[in-house]
Amino acid sequence: MRPFLPEERLGSLLALLGHWGEVYGPVTTGDGVTAFRPVSDPGQLRLEYRRTLIPPKRFLLPPRETILTYSPDAGYQPLDTAQPALVLFGLHPCDLQGIAYLDRVFLEGVVDTSYRRNRQALTIIGLSCEPDEFCFCGAAGADLPAGCDLFLQRTPAGFFVTAGTMKGEEICDRSAQLFTLRQPAGTTPWHHPLADAICRGCAAGETFPDNPLWDRFAERCLGCGACSACCPTCYCYDVLEQGGLDGQAAERLREWDNCLFKSHGEVAGGVNFRRSRRERLQYRFLHKYYGFGALRGVISCVGCGRCRAVCPVEIDLAALFEGEDHDRQ
Amino acid sequence: MPRADSCQSRSLYIPRDATILSVTELTSREKLFRLRLSDGSELKHLPGQFIQLSILGYGEAPISVASPPTRQGYFELGIRRVGSLTTAMHALKRGDKVGIRGPYGTPFDLGSMGGKDLLLISGGCGLAPMRSLIQYAADRKSEFGRVTILYGARSPDQLLFREDLDKWETISGFACSYTVDSREGDGCYSGSTGLITDLIRPIELSPAETEAVIVGPPAMYTPVIAALKEKGLSSQQISLSLERQMRCGVGKCGHCSIEHLYCCQDGPVFRLNVIEHLHGAL
Repeated sequence: MRPFLPEERLGSLLALLGHWGEVYGPVTTGDGVTAFRPVSDPGQLRLEYRRTLIPPKRFLLPPRETILTYSPDAGYQPLDTAQPALVLFGLHPCDLQGIAYLDRVFLEGVVDTSYRRNRQALTIIGLSCEPDEFCFCGAAGADLPAGCDLFLQRTPAGFFVTAGTMKGEEICDRSAQLFTLRQPAGTTPWHHPLADAICRGCAAGETFPDNPLWDRFAERCLGCGACSACCPTCYCYDVLEQGGLDGQAAERLREWDNCLFKSHGEVAGGVNFRRSRRERLQYRFLHKYYGFGALRGVISCVGCGRCRAVCPVEIDLAALFEGEDHDRQ
Repeated sequence: MPRADSCQSRSLYIPRDATILSVTELTSREKLFRLRLSDGSELKHLPGQFIQLSILGYGEAPISVASPPTRQGYFELGIRRVGSLTTAMHALKRGDKVGIRGPYGTPFDLGSMGGKDLLLISGGCGLAPMRSLIQYAADRKSEFGRVTILYGARSPDQLLFREDLDKWETISGFACSYTVDSREGDGCYSGSTGLITDLIRPIELSPAETEAVIVGPPAMYTPVIAALKEKGLSSQQISLSLERQMRCGVGKCGHCSIEHLYCCQDGPVFRLNVIEHLHGAL
């Protein structure tokens, strides 16, 4: 028997979660995009949502963020304002896996204090999902909920509840009166054949250097960078400085950079180490499937399907593992 | 959430204050800055490492250290004026302050170089990081065999560290030659003209006892490596320092990867055998 939250008590759980911070969940915005936004009423939640356009990485690594401020008296200082506590409700296993990967990038070894500050402000509530034609999780074990405080397995009548952390246990304790006990029905684990193909290909170290798909992708890639912007594990960033007009104050910022942009591989004086679109696509491929630096050998593609869903010219790097182009034109 | 290796509260992005002690004009576009950390501490770098230089209002750029750790009380940066940050740096004077993060990166493998003859080949502003190693070897001469320095620049007015080049020539056990692609613009130049590879050919070396280092513009690596292999050196005996865009210096920003290696951490100094088969390395 496992704790079970009847669906009609979801509103009570959301109210209770407010104790841990402002609750954000998947909603449809005024312009028709699915996004994590503040929710107060369970009626706003899109429990059956497929994927948000922008992954939850934006709460950890905002598109643009001040990392230091400068003043003549104090020099460069980190932001000392506390990050407001947030509860992210309804993250799918792929996005949980994405956050677990970012945690490794920014918290292992040299700790990125800005990331840690954002991460510590989050309480994460996972939610099971129904895949669509773009999903292929299982590529990196994303079908197992990772790194969330609480996970909700949805059924027609409500949710089986599992705590993943001490904080999750605390949430369960505080909301015990909302739960009943039920025998979980066996679920069929979702597994996409592409996930197997990716794992096999990566285990063999396959980079498909002679595959004609590279040229076809490079010919039609627009270099818009949407695949990277909406990827839950793309984290490349640029560091900028904005000086005050008085020359006395400045802010150091970081903002998302994008390996599909030509400037990403350029050094002082104009030499570019990734001049062609093909080289830029290959850089992205290597990062997603083989990893860089301390995370070499770790597949960071979580199978969320965002890059396949958003690419305006239907480029799908994972198709290399299947050997067929998904271009429908 | 994984536990951090250590509980760091200081942001890794905060630079330390450094004060400019002197500025020397090397060419019309390169200057040498001598600096000291404002708290009086040493930089504690090794030859081949780089720092992130901060200038208020302009941000940061990775710059190789041009002086050796054996010379205490200061460190030097040779900086070419190419963008907004380096232009701002060129406008600074003695007494002005900048920010420093680092040192970062894998230095030259001084351990393996011990007891060996060194063949040190640089081109353009690659002489700045090489100078750190050359001066280190000059200060600890007993630890190394013969030191041969070869340097190439586009034209006489672009030769860096002219005084140093002449001084190195006079150190016993050291040999130093330089060349320019073209003597245009300097009728008085009496040195050699030609490619850097022309300087390698006449060198006599004992392949088993030699460690070679190359630091230069990307176009220099392939012909120089070929010339060294003709001399009987293997890839394991050749080290190079590579340049890539490095925003953070600590393996996080994702820009400087050469296949799976981060130039900022695994490099900038690599052994040739580690990178020669990697796509986009050379």
